[in-house]
Amino acid sequence: MKRFGATVALGGVALRIGRGEAVAIMGPSGSGKSTLLHCLAGIMKPDGGEVHLLGQRIDTMRERERSALRRTRFGFVFQFGQLLPELPAEENVALPLMLGGVSRGDAVRRAREWFGPLGLGGMEGRRPGELSGGQAQRVAIARALATRPAVVFADEPTGALDQATGQDTMRLLVEATRGNDASLVVVTHDPQVARWCDRTVEVRDGQVLSPGGYGAPVPSGGYGAAGASGVTGTAEAMGAAGAAGAATRILPGVNG
Amino acid sequence: MTGLLGLSWRLLRGGGRGGLLGAGLTAVAVAVSTALLLFAVSANLAFQGRAEREAWRNPVAADTGVVAVQAVRRDYVRDLGITVVDVAALRPGAAPPPGLDRFPAPGEVWFSPALAELVRELPAGELAGRFPEKVGGTVGDEALVHPGELVAVRGQEPDAPVMTVKAPQDPLTGTAPTRVAGFTGEPTNDAQAYQALALIATVLMAVPLLVFGGAAARLTVARRDQRLAALRLVGATPGQVVLMTVAEAVITAAAGAVAGVALYGLLTPLLGGIEIAGGSWFAADLWPGVPYTLAVLAAVPLLVGLSAVVGLRRVVVSPLGVAKRETPPAMRVVRVLALLAVLATVPALGAGTAAGVVAVVLGLAFLAINLTGPWVVGVIGRITARTARGPARLLAGRRLVDDPRAAWRTVSGVAMTGFVAGFIGLLSPGSGLLGDADATTLRLTVPAARVSQLTEEARERLSAAGVPARVKVTGEGGDRTLAVTVTEAARVDEAVIDRARTALDGMVPGRGATSEADEERFGVLLLQDVGTGTVVVLTVSFLVAIVSAGITAASSVLDRRQTYALLRLAGTPLEVLNRARRAETLVPLAVMGGGSIVVGMFCALPFSFSAMNVSGLTVLLACVVLGFAGVAGAGAASAPLLRSVTADPAPRPD
Repeated sequence: MKRFGATVALGGVALRIGRGEAVAIMGPSGSGKSTLLHCLAGIMKPDGGEVHLLGQRIDTMRERERSALRRTRFGFVFQFGQLLPELPAEENVALPLMLGGVSRGDAVRRAREWFGPLGLGGMEGRRPGELSGGQAQRVAIARALATRPAVVFADEPTGALDQATGQDTMRLLVEATRGNDASLVVVTHDPQVARWCDRTVEVRDGQVLSPGGYGAPVPSGGYGAAGASGVTGTAEAMGAAGAAGAATRILPGVNG
Repeated sequence: MTGLLGLSWRLLRGGGRGGLLGAGLTAVAVAVSTALLLFAVSANLAFQGRAEREAWRNPVAADTGVVAVQAVRRDYVRDLGITVVDVAALRPGAAPPPGLDRFPAPGEVWFSPALAELVRELPAGELAGRFPEKVGGTVGDEALVHPGELVAVRGQEPDAPVMTVKAPQDPLTGTAPTRVAGFTGEPTNDAQAYQALALIATVLMAVPLLVFGGAAARLTVARRDQRLAALRLVGATPGQVVLMTVAEAVITAAAGAVAGVALYGLLTPLLGGIEIAGGSWFAADLWPGVPYTLAVLAAVPLLVGLSAVVGLRRVVVSPLGVAKRETPPAMRVVRVLALLAVLATVPALGAGTAAGVVAVVLGLAFLAINLTGPWVVGVIGRITARTARGPARLLAGRRLVDDPRAAWRTVSGVAMTGFVAGFIGLLSPGSGLLGDADATTLRLTVPAARVSQLTEEARERLSAAGVPARVKVTGEGGDRTLAVTVTEAARVDEAVIDRARTALDGMVPGRGATSEADEERFGVLLLQDVGTGTVVVLTVSFLVAIVSAGITAASSVLDRRQTYALLRLAGTPLEVLNRARRAETLVPLAVMGGGSIVVGMFCALPFSFSAMNVSGLTVLLACVVLGFAGVAGAGAASAPLLRSVTADPAPRPD
């Protein structure tokens, strides 16, 4: 559960995402889908419930640990503004690696490897302002995947793109994520985008309506939220023990 | 037109918390600038006022229309100087000197308030004995340099010895009896020297102030860049965009300027207490008057508006320029050439150069440093980015290359202060210039013809006053010197010396007994004043610099809050962001601060009369430490702001 003042943004959520799985989280504006993504990604701490990554509970971690987790195990793609305008494209991609302690030379070399496969050959030295919207999103995908994360979170990744470019970007995002054995969580309100994913989770008024075609709204307290008093739902991701089979399990593809 | 202004006003009000905070920061910056600018203007007016109030004691000889005779002498009590003015009317109804309600009759004396108090406080044998005349009144403020000044005006008969004696004309000891057509006089050389120093100090303070005010204006524009570029994209004409921005900047600046006047009013009592030339200031001295205040109130918002226009140039020229964030064109080397051109004129200066010319060259050097600053920052950025190994330095370097002007704004204040410190550091006279002058031997110049008679009279007078002293005659020619040494048997303190002075007073018309220490007093005072001036100028500069660094650091966080939030969200530790911010300030500061100190010292070379001394070095070191600590502290002060703007992870268009 996540509250903002008296408003319950998220409640009654139970979700499992399997390794290599691409899941679209859909819902109208204000339904709580971005809040769900932020809770799953360790950006926000839920007020109730649990979030697991590979059996490790992450919602109780301190900010420093969650920050390290986001840096090393997660990748992010947003609608806009995620690239540093003053850095050339290759350094934008190399930055997460450098933050992880990789030397600058190695980081830039590894960053460059992404440019060809993503159709960005020759654009390594361009700054974000000199890239088109679609190119900038592909650089963002490269950056999200550069650290070989377990999960890539994408919040409206095609929201600022025309349809054709958006479709192209989604294809690259899904392929690249799968190719790296990572899971993908995409928040969108566009069914065209959701089509690229393995399944769609509907969120409305802070409730998961259809956890990937596995049925009706999850009752409060369901999905192994045992013992957590006041917990109205569990946002559980990525292969926690228990209730196996209720959702597809994701195991992150850290293939270094 | 009205519609546009209304839209600007709504944009300003509707800017949200961040927008209002930014506008508030601009207003604070403008308020501080205005207050200090008023101080700079007032300081010049105050010195001018002092010079005018003192002029009547610097008589100008007249051939026609002579109405009076005037003689001026310097006397001393304790460690203070007394100006004794003797006047004799040559025709009835002559206008009295300034500050006196009527012309003093022979045998009357007028005291300044401070002297009247001292006369009452000290034993008669130490001071009052020198003025046996009947007290006629009090010298008014309009005839005094400062509230604590000691002035006595005595009425004399035109044929009194003191009005007819031919004393040598030495500005340090006084002016021989002069026939005058009135008590207008002319400003003394000392007063003019102080005015010149004040003008130079003003330039040293004002240029960083104007740069600071300009930076504050850009701050408003920087936040509006994106929005105004968007307005251009939807078809607003360049004129409309300029008008809206200028309106917004001017509204903010006008509010800041009014606050600045109030701030200056509050600071006046504090500033009035700064002692220069032996005294503090009249409250009226530091009030610049309605016309100047109105001029500053009008000029500051105008300058801020102008600065906003310059800052907007890129938006107006290219609506896509800012919206798309292309690589800015590299700055031209011509900026450096401008600095070199100004520096080339420095060796032509010298001690004899007019103060106005020196002020212009200093001002130009300042502006040239300000022009060169961003270029150097760009170069430093490229080097930092190329050599960076960690993410913090890479971010810092790229940021410096991306917007060298913004980085320069943060450090320009302190770098400019480095220039001032370098300039003053080399000029600061060492304390070794003045030795320990003898205060226990009083010397009195006497005519050779009467030397033995006066020696005897001096002994009698000293003995009557109970001052044990030896009297010796030295010198040759028409004037001899009576050297009166207070003997060591007595406890030699100021009171004894003053008793001796009082005992010898009036023995030789127009002359008083003075010690070496008395004669050095003016030099000591001047050195003290240079020291005080240094402290004032550096305090103002540092205040401006550090406030400027704090404001620009905070605004830079606000401008880049989305980038910072996303970096933090992607797991970048706050510490890396803070390290990057520190590096992007301190690296250019080290280079430009050091460079400015060297340029400042170079500009001071033609005027320095000695090599760098300990006190100058101390000033410099203190400045370097203060500058770094101040800028680092100002940057650290915005760390909580960074934490708070990155705490909200949701990226939003702004």
